[in-house]
Amino acid sequence: MAFPHRPDAPELPDFSMLKRLARDQLIYLLEQLPGKKDLFIEADLMSPLDRIANVSILKQHEVDKLYKVENKPAFSSSEQLCFLVRPRIKNMWYIANLVNADKMAGRTRKYKVIFSPQKFYACEMVLEEEGIYGDVSCDEWAFSLLPLDVDLLSMELPEFFRDYFLEGDQCWINTVAQALHLLSTLYGPFPNCYGIGRCAKMSHELWRKLEEEEDGETKGRRPEIGHVFLLDRDVDFVTALCSQVVYEGLVDDTFRVKCGSVDFGPEVTSSDKSLKVLLNAEDKVFNEIRNEHFSNVFGFLSQKARNLQAQYDRRRGMDIKQMKNFVSQELKGLKQEHRLLSLHIGACESIMKKKTKQDFQELIKTEHALLEGFSIRESTNYIEEHIDRQVSPIESLRLMCLLSITENGLIPKDYRSLKTQYLQSYGPEHLLTFSNLRRAGLLTEQAPGDTLTAVESKVSKLVTDKAAGKITDAFSSLAKRSNFRAISKKLNLIPRVDGEYDLKVPRDMAYVFSGAYVPLSCRIIEQVLERQSWQGLDEVVRLLNCSELAFTDMTKEDKASSESLRLILVVFLGGCTFSEISALRFLGREKGYRFIFLTTAVTNSVRLMEAMSEVKA
Amino acid sequence: MDCYTANWNPLGDSAFYRKYELYSMDWDLKEELRDCLVAAAPYGGPIALLRNPGRKEKPASARPVLEIYSASGVPLASLLWKSGPMVSLGWSAEEELLCVQEDGVVLVYGLHGDFRRHFSMGNEVLQNRVLDARIFHTEFGSGVAILTGAHRFTLSANVGDLKLRRMPEVPGLQSAPSCWTTMCQDRVAHILLAVGPDLYLLDHAACSAVTPPGLAPGVSSFLQMAVSFTCRHLALFTDTGYIWMGTASLKEKLCEFNCNIRAPPKQMVWCSRPRSKERAVVVAWERRLMVVGDAPEGIQFVLDEDSYLVPELDGVRIFSRSTHEFLHEVPVASEEIFKIASMAPGALLLEAQKEYEKESQKADEYLREIQELGQLPQAVQQCIEAAGHEHWPDMQKSLLRAASFGKCFLDRFPPDSFVRMCQDLRVLNAIRDYHIGIPLTYSQYKQLTIQVLLDRLVLRRLYPLAIQICEYLRLPEVQGVSRILAHWACYKVQQKDVSDEDVARAINQKLGDTPGVSYSDIAARAYGCGRTELAIKLLEYEPRSGEQVPLLLKMKRSKLALSKAIESGDTDLVFTVLLHLKNELNRGDFFMTLRNQPMALSLYRQFCKHQELETLKDLYNQDDNHQELGSFHVRASYAAEERIEGRVAALQTAADAFYKAKNEFAAKATEDQMRLLRLQRRLEDELGGRFLGLSVHDTVTTLILSGQNKRAEQLARDFRIPDKRLWWLKLTALADLEDWEEIEKFSKSKKSPIGYLPFVEICMKQHNKYEAKKYASRVGPEQKVKALLLVGDVAQAADVAIEHRNEAEMSLVLSHCTGATDGATADKIQRARAQAQKK
Repeated sequence: MAFPHRPDAPELPDFSMLKRLARDQLIYLLEQLPGKKDLFIEADLMSPLDRIANVSILKQHEVDKLYKVENKPAFSSSEQLCFLVRPRIKNMWYIANLVNADKMAGRTRKYKVIFSPQKFYACEMVLEEEGIYGDVSCDEWAFSLLPLDVDLLSMELPEFFRDYFLEGDQCWINTVAQALHLLSTLYGPFPNCYGIGRCAKMSHELWRKLEEEEDGETKGRRPEIGHVFLLDRDVDFVTALCSQVVYEGLVDDTFRVKCGSVDFGPEVTSSDKSLKVLLNAEDKVFNEIRNEHFSNVFGFLSQKARNLQAQYDRRRGMDIKQMKNFVSQELKGLKQEHRLLSLHIGACESIMKKKTKQDFQELIKTEHALLEGFSIRESTNYIEEHIDRQVSPIESLRLMCLLSITENGLIPKDYRSLKTQYLQSYGPEHLLTFSNLRRAGLLTEQAPGDTLTAVESKVSKLVTDKAAGKITDAFSSLAKRSNFRAISKKLNLIPRVDGEYDLKVPRDMAYVFSGAYVPLSCRIIEQVLERQSWQGLDEVVRLLNCSELAFTDMTKEDKASSESLRLILVVFLGGCTFSEISALRFLGREKGYRFIFLTTAVTNSVRLMEAMSEVKA
Repeated sequence: MDCYTANWNPLGDSAFYRKYELYSMDWDLKEELRDCLVAAAPYGGPIALLRNPGRKEKPASARPVLEIYSASGVPLASLLWKSGPMVSLGWSAEEELLCVQEDGVVLVYGLHGDFRRHFSMGNEVLQNRVLDARIFHTEFGSGVAILTGAHRFTLSANVGDLKLRRMPEVPGLQSAPSCWTTMCQDRVAHILLAVGPDLYLLDHAACSAVTPPGLAPGVSSFLQMAVSFTCRHLALFTDTGYIWMGTASLKEKLCEFNCNIRAPPKQMVWCSRPRSKERAVVVAWERRLMVVGDAPEGIQFVLDEDSYLVPELDGVRIFSRSTHEFLHEVPVASEEIFKIASMAPGALLLEAQKEYEKESQKADEYLREIQELGQLPQAVQQCIEAAGHEHWPDMQKSLLRAASFGKCFLDRFPPDSFVRMCQDLRVLNAIRDYHIGIPLTYSQYKQLTIQVLLDRLVLRRLYPLAIQICEYLRLPEVQGVSRILAHWACYKVQQKDVSDEDVARAINQKLGDTPGVSYSDIAARAYGCGRTELAIKLLEYEPRSGEQVPLLLKMKRSKLALSKAIESGDTDLVFTVLLHLKNELNRGDFFMTLRNQPMALSLYRQFCKHQELETLKDLYNQDDNHQELGSFHVRASYAAEERIEGRVAALQTAADAFYKAKNEFAAKATEDQMRLLRLQRRLEDELGGRFLGLSVHDTVTTLILSGQNKRAEQLARDFRIPDKRLWWLKLTALADLEDWEEIEKFSKSKKSPIGYLPFVEICMKQHNKYEAKKYASRVGPEQKVKALLLVGDVAQAADVAIEHRNEAEMSLVLSHCTGATDGATADKIQRARAQAQKK
């Protein structure tokens, strides 16, 4: 039932090398500060660090105590302090406070700041302004790619989304380019490159520049990965905003998968303890159900349970020798499987409890109505009721955004009333949230009778105006036209339903949304790969407001084996969801491709909305 | 070939010395060399002459002339010396001319007479004047040692990294020492000086008297001393005409010689070859040259002209007005081959080859002879080696031919030594050419390395030759051709008579995008020559924007730098430029610049958000960005303000800004919030409890929960809470209180705008089936089935569904039928369905 790959599917490259590389570099950096030292780790880096080097490895390299970088002072008695942080200004203040307090107390210690994945000039400047630049030594830990699974690499930069798509801060693009460069040095050049979106384009250009500067290194290497596809999250917000119904996505929506692992609470483990579980291909049970529509999962798990029982039962008729064999070889595996099975059954139950209520059915129904574009009034009312009942601030916001994007913005009346209701329900500070959402193009107002050409002429008028700030505003208002309906028609995103959609034997990628909608991002990738270019997709590209931002970059590469040409690296700038991953895995199985995913972070609708929300400090 | 050894002179039993002409000089010297200050650089380097060195008695009008020639006498530069009186000249290891003036200032000139820089040897030198000066070479570079008028020494071991060191005083030194020299031992520069019969060694800590071991008695003064090229040996010439030769450490005597000439020699230099056991010094008087070593007899030469000696690694160069000669010990390989009646394998091979060319059978005899002894490989090797030491191409060729001939009879002779020698000789012959004038020997060339040689060619602006050599030797582009092209370009930008466009075009044509060429370096050079426009043009060719930015900043083209930085996509670079701009421009201009660069603007905004909130506000103000300004104040009202008055004030400012931004919605919302805050404050004062910071919805809920229904109604009216919401809100709050009576009253107050299904739902949520049933009957027909199912009345739900003839509702009911109890109901529905289908 799980996706068996076609026999000719290419092998995935071994990404564990990335882990080893990161570990060795970290150890090298730690050894730069010989002797015992205390390590201060930023909270966001803890989980990724744990996947690279556990505490015992840190201890081996004379890390004494571990502290979390947080808003309260830490009392370390060590003579050497090492900080492992993201390049953020607030971290610099934390360090500066600590160092300056030491100075006041007349204490001299050694301080080392390790920035991951790179250091920013702004950070160094803050250190300088705080007068401690000379007291600390700075280093970079170029750890930008964490292999979460055999086919999933994450940069673990959830802030990328807000920084780039909201604040317009391009500082992470360089990091993306570096990461691509690293991949191409390790796994050979990428002969074919496609991309869509401003960030994709910039990253690609920057990466090419890096390759040129250091050319010769990848030359002559056999490419292992035949295609690269870069995609901006803002090309397809819709998919990311939908409720997920494949198992892995549901687990993420329900329990929040963090850095490839999840904390199952007591309600799942059916004990009084929480359990941290790694979710990846090594978990045999999970691997078989991760990409399945949730409606199949339970049946599958019970079948599995029966099989397991049968295997246990086999020992009844065994003689001593067979029993010995059984205990030494199979029992351990069975027990392990048993444990995992019970965990996933627990998780399923917990999800069922939350999701199979009527509310959830209604919610999904509304979502599908929005995607298909019928009974908009009912959906709007549903959303209003949702807000009035204070069901969940994030959920309400998500539905509003989904409505806005699928409908090319809200009609002015709804725009005002929904916002008013929202502010009354969830607090006035969300005025800022709305301003953010508008800027990002997630929640906008329909200009009455405003056709695309009218907006364009408005822009061209403004271009002559010297006020460049206004131009960017105008551009973003142009970008806000999502044209989802037209795109959906062009790309056939809503499958025609004749009869029941059999979720057990999916026909197309739409199964990840119960057969109601083919994820836009995945469809674009499918179409481009089929054509090996953007040819014939001009209209779609125009509707996506990416006329200048879709590119193809092919290098003549004769050495690329047919195997490597079926290996595709998909880079999601701004995050990707598990549903998209499942959909592409399905596509891969159908077409004999293997997809490798590189994302700035794994995301879902909740994370997306949270990134846009202004919460009271 | 009989005469080949004619210029060989034996010294003792074991060594021969030969002197041959390198060039005949046609430099048309008007003066005698003795009237000039002379400096010649080692490794076949250039010769500098200062004619008419400043003599006080001469009139000021007759200014001295500084001339620079190649080793072959080709003039490279000539300039009128306008600075102060010069004491000493010398070449640094980088072939820069160091001119030591009487006042202790050292002027540094390039090979082409271009002034580079100057530095002073310190105040003490300035006060006491320079009496004598030496330029010497250490492993760190080139040093200058100065003897001042006060008979003190000051030295700097490396002029590139000037650190002056004043040497300790020599006790009782009243007059200038009769001779002195610098010596380098254990990486430290020392000074050895002779005062009367005594020798003193100065290091930076102490002055110690030293005595050379085995020095002949009767010495009352030392006239000349010489340190060998490698600083390992020392020779002393005494007033008795006696020469002592020993190690520089003065611990061991090598040999001595008595030449019986008491006149002080003009020059004395060592002449030895690396790895040779022979030690010899060359002593020059006015008309006589003598090579002396560990032999009873020296070799004497007559000097027709005034000559000058230049010590080299493996010999001595001697030049005069008309000739330039090289004197050295004959290398072993050459000696073996050419010594009269030599039976060495190389000699035989050479002979064999010659016979072979004469088509004589003797060739075979010789060859056999070598082969019988199994010495053919040595023979070939000897010939190759000897070829390297020959100056004349004809001789090189015949030796190489012999080697090649011998190689034919060897199975596995590795070809690389032969090939490499051919290559090296081609390079050497090319640079020894009269026009180039770098008479390097093979050993010197190997010591110098090809890289340095290329540098020297570049220094002489011999770019084409350098490139040809690179291509011939197939050097990697980055080290070879590109480096030279870059140097060429740097030279090109200094040609002031060519227009900026032409220079830039010419450079780009030649360089294209050769790997390893840094246009920014060239541009930096152009800027260094004051050609800013050219520099900018050249930067255009620089593919890496990151490289363009620092120079642009240096040239004060900050705005251009900013756009380049943005192009590079490197935010750090942009930030660097921004901070630069911030300091350089006034605030208004700075903001204007930002406005035209959205990427830079957002970067700076991000920074301000964390670091300089006030600047952020100014930025928005400047842009008339009232929307963001409003948001800014709203944020401030939550984050920065603690007191309610402060918060309201901040919100007021925000509301004003929103009005200006024509965002009435936001303005109204902000005003509502102000109203709410004030109200909440009042509520807190009157009722206690916490209200501040709650949303409107939560405020009303809190009021209902605390039984303040009147106030709740009022607030709902004030804030125009829609009916639907109010019903939901009230229902939820009352259900939380489990006030079923009030709910019932509420449900009957008027027709529910939200229908009655929510009543059922909420009761069921509180597990109150009894209450729920009350409302189930009032639910409208569309939702009736749902309501009935909720309260668990499957049978009735089925009836309603059948009545409605609604397929979806029927399946919904069916899905709720569980077990045997609902069996009958299920059947009923199935029947109804079947009926419906029949129709």
